[in-house]
Amino acid sequence: MATAPTTYSPSQALERRQQQQRRRIFKEEDWVRSDGRGFNQCRPAFLRTGAANAASGSAYAEFGTTKVIVSVFGPRESKKAMMYSDIGRLNCNVSFTTFSTPIRGQGLDNKEFSSMLHKALEGAIILESFPKTTVDVFALVLESGGSDLPVIISCASLALADAGIMMYDLVSSVSVSCFGKSLIIDPTAEEEAFQDGSFMVTYMPSRKEVTQLTLTGEWSTAKINEAMELCLDACLKLADVMRSCLKEAANAG
Amino acid sequence: MASSSSIASKGSLDIAGEMEVEAFRRLFPHRYYEHYLAQSVRPDARPLNHARETTIALGPVTSVDGSALVKIGESTMLAAIKLEVMTPAADLPDKGCLAVDFYMPPVCSPTVRPGRPAEIAPVISKKLQDVIVSSGMINFEELSLISGKAAWMAYLDIYCLNADGSLFDAALLSAVAAFSHLKVPLVSVNDNGRVTTVPGELLESKSELELVNKERRKLSFKSIPFSLTCLLHNKYILADPTAEEEDIMDTLVTVVVDSIGQLVSLYKAGGMVLANTSTVKDCVALAKRRAAELQNILLESLSEMEVD
Repeated sequence: MATAPTTYSPSQALERRQQQQRRRIFKEEDWVRSDGRGFNQCRPAFLRTGAANAASGSAYAEFGTTKVIVSVFGPRESKKAMMYSDIGRLNCNVSFTTFSTPIRGQGLDNKEFSSMLHKALEGAIILESFPKTTVDVFALVLESGGSDLPVIISCASLALADAGIMMYDLVSSVSVSCFGKSLIIDPTAEEEAFQDGSFMVTYMPSRKEVTQLTLTGEWSTAKINEAMELCLDACLKLADVMRSCLKEAANAG
Repeated sequence: MASSSSIASKGSLDIAGEMEVEAFRRLFPHRYYEHYLAQSVRPDARPLNHARETTIALGPVTSVDGSALVKIGESTMLAAIKLEVMTPAADLPDKGCLAVDFYMPPVCSPTVRPGRPAEIAPVISKKLQDVIVSSGMINFEELSLISGKAAWMAYLDIYCLNADGSLFDAALLSAVAAFSHLKVPLVSVNDNGRVTTVPGELLESKSELELVNKERRKLSFKSIPFSLTCLLHNKYILADPTAEEEDIMDTLVTVVVDSIGQLVSLYKAGGMVLANTSTVKDCVALAKRRAAELQNILLESLSEMEVD
């Protein structure tokens, strides 16, 4: 197309109005989450391995409207420019579809998420088990409905297990948003947009080790402790769901 | 291969046999395929002229106006349509517009790496745009809102989630399925002259709101294009090839026919096998049969959606 005309989404005005309304609600002491969940309740998780046969391993995760697909390739030859390495390399990439967000985006790579995903998984993978080679973890966010990064990380760890990459443990990840006095777990995109602070933990439940922890906004020590407990408990439960998904796939195959 | 030979030496005889077949397949793909083709069958147990099992799921993406997930065998495509408002071009005041983009993200295939997009993606993009526009499936006047002032721009984005051959066929099917799922939002014009959507609850309470498009919630299609890719190899015609078959044998013929039996496009980009007239006719006949099959699958998925 030579000259692409400028376009706008007709729902923009509507969304602005809804946002103003939401902002008012979030300021109140007692409010109900738009999907009717309790503050300590996660969205139901749907997980499936082996979504793509072109990859060594893959997984699909759906938490509410957050939909993510992750493919794992390798271990395979490292890029030519790479130096010799006794241990394996991990390469991560996260991208979004153009329709993942309400406003049509460019569908570009998300460098921040790519690097966070790398850091979250690095500690869990036994890199010594594939020297000189690279494992590629590619994630595509089909629809962004909030808590994207934790879903990507959990899904990626499931895809790595599906690919048969050796890990110390499965990695599960959950985030919590802070609204004034209240904490809400597994926030939606709308809730994330108005949160006062966020807290995310990436955890290996069997080893009781945290591989990644991020904290933004203003938090008191007591709140951090509370959030930590909430997250670790949820990570443990999520890991159980992930484990049963893997078992199911193993029994079916 | 080191691990396979150690398993083979330790394991029972039939594991060893299996390993040898896998090795033979990788090392001598042409001879491997010849064995099968001579018996008119393919390694996945399909007869030569049969396409793989095809499924269509409508509406997997909630943030758009129309979407579809299509699987042909293991080739998976996700298509989504988002409608935005534009000012139509001065010479076409009563017509909307369509922008097609086909993406092959790194998740879809081991050959695609981040930062190095697949060469075939823009080619398929262009072919899709040409086929959809030239088939006359969409009446672009239906995408007009206010003559000369506002019209819909339909952004059709197709993502390949798993690449296993016949990508164009799967992409086109996902595109037409997304268009059949498309529901045009109700809109009105606000005081600033911008077009805005009207939410359901507002519709009931304020009836004086002037709607621009009351009737046109679904597009009508004159005909729907369907495509079949065939692989030519010696005297054989293999319908709906997998990625492995496309790699080994390289002459592809893509035929697009529409639901009323007209030929929309025929594409053969060189290749080792020179197709004679009867081969081309055979491909067209196969494509027609496939189009009827695909139309049924599409109708079925549409009626399933209405039941829900």
